[in-house]
Amino acid sequence: MRTFEVFLKKAGKDEFRHVGAIDAADAELGVTLAREAYVRRGEGDDLWLVDRTHIVVGPPAFVRGNHDKPHRHNDGAAIAERRRQQRETA
Amino acid sequence: MTLLDPTPATLADRLAGPPVGRSWADMDEFETFLDDGGIVEAHDDMPEAYRTEVFRFIELHANSELMGGLTERDWIPRAPGLRLKQIFLAKTQDEIGHAHLLYMVAADMGMKDREQMLADLFAGRTRFHNVFHYQAVTWADQIAIAYLVDAAAFASQRAVFQNCSYGPYKRVLKRIIAEEGFHMRHGEEMLLRIAEGTRIQHEMFQAALERWWMPAVQLFGPDSSPDDPLLAWHIKSERNEVLRHAYVQKYVPLLQGYGFDIPDSGLRHDPVDGWLISEIDWSELRATMRNGGPDSRRRIATAAGSYADTAWVRDALAAAS
Ligand SMILES: [Fe+2]
Ligand SMILES: [Fe+2]
Repeated sequence: MRTFEVFLKKAGKDEFRHVGAIDAADAELGVTLAREAYVRRGEGDDLWLVDRTHIVVGPPAFVRGNHDKPHRHNDGAAIAERRRQQRETA
Repeated sequence: MTLLDPTPATLADRLAGPPVGRSWADMDEFETFLDDGGIVEAHDDMPEAYRTEVFRFIELHANSELMGGLTERDWIPRAPGLRLKQIFLAKTQDEIGHAHLLYMVAADMGMKDREQMLADLFAGRTRFHNVFHYQAVTWADQIAIAYLVDAAAFASQRAVFQNCSYGPYKRVLKRIIAEEGFHMRHGEEMLLRIAEGTRIQHEMFQAALERWWMPAVQLFGPDSSPDDPLLAWHIKSERNEVLRHAYVQKYVPLLQGYGFDIPDSGLRHDPVDGWLISEIDWSELRATMRNGGPDSRRRIATAAGSYADTAWVRDALAAAS
């Protein structure tokens, strides 16, 4: 028995989204069962199954290491303030 | 060469191995995390008490979906007309599907795999909701189940979904609740038909209501204890008695509007508190939840039998790959 993670995407928009998992003996049965378990009412047009043993998980501490980088953002506050001042003097 | 410590693992190894996600120093820190809206994932190092309680709750839910689905299945051949037959086929598939999703989520908590959960259910060692321990006698019972029981299940599941701290459970609940909404609408349409039907049909539903009103109201359980861990840990977002009261406020006038009598001689309307039902004797619910309900034995035996009867399908599929 293999465990597949199930991903769905609607045609033409958005990205694939993880919707859950399914157990099946092989890929063909996996697709069949995933359709019956997850796509009964048009939830998606494209279906991906990925064997759980093939998904690589990034260590969370490593992933979070990039969160604290304020210099990569700009909230535009300085420019907004400058424009406001210009409007008031005009 | 090793760039990362720990090195990336596969999802399968991660779920099978010891927790590698977030951890909390103690229960206070964990509860603060939950109170701040934190969501727990399967690979997190959650407190054992949380893991055990949440697992039990999801297992109970999964078992109930399976047992409910089997009840629906029993009525497919007897559904009046093609449209209702299709509706009941679809509904059965939905319920079995709900069980399937929930068993996947429960199994990933690392306490029991699906085979063990099913073995425990069929041996009567684990529980399922009270409403699936009673027998459906006529087609009107199916309508009462579709309208009253699905609505009660919907209300309690929605309250779990609202603020659910266990991420994998919350995500499958979203789908389950959406589908329960269809079941409820089907249920109310069927109710409307039978309410507008002949006098005999009206009496049939009234008799079914007398069988199902109490079990549906009891589904919410006795008043929540002040230290219910499921409330503290944001699995339940609302107290049992609050959900029960809201349900009564909605369904008493709806059923009366269709011309049916609520089978409760103590039912009264209070200008402040609204509809109030008689004091409930909870010994019935307690006995039922220990698999000692009126139809528990037959239900469990039927479920175990149908699983055994379909073993050849699972074996053939496994052998074909
Ligand atoms: Fe369901
Ligand atoms: Fe349902």
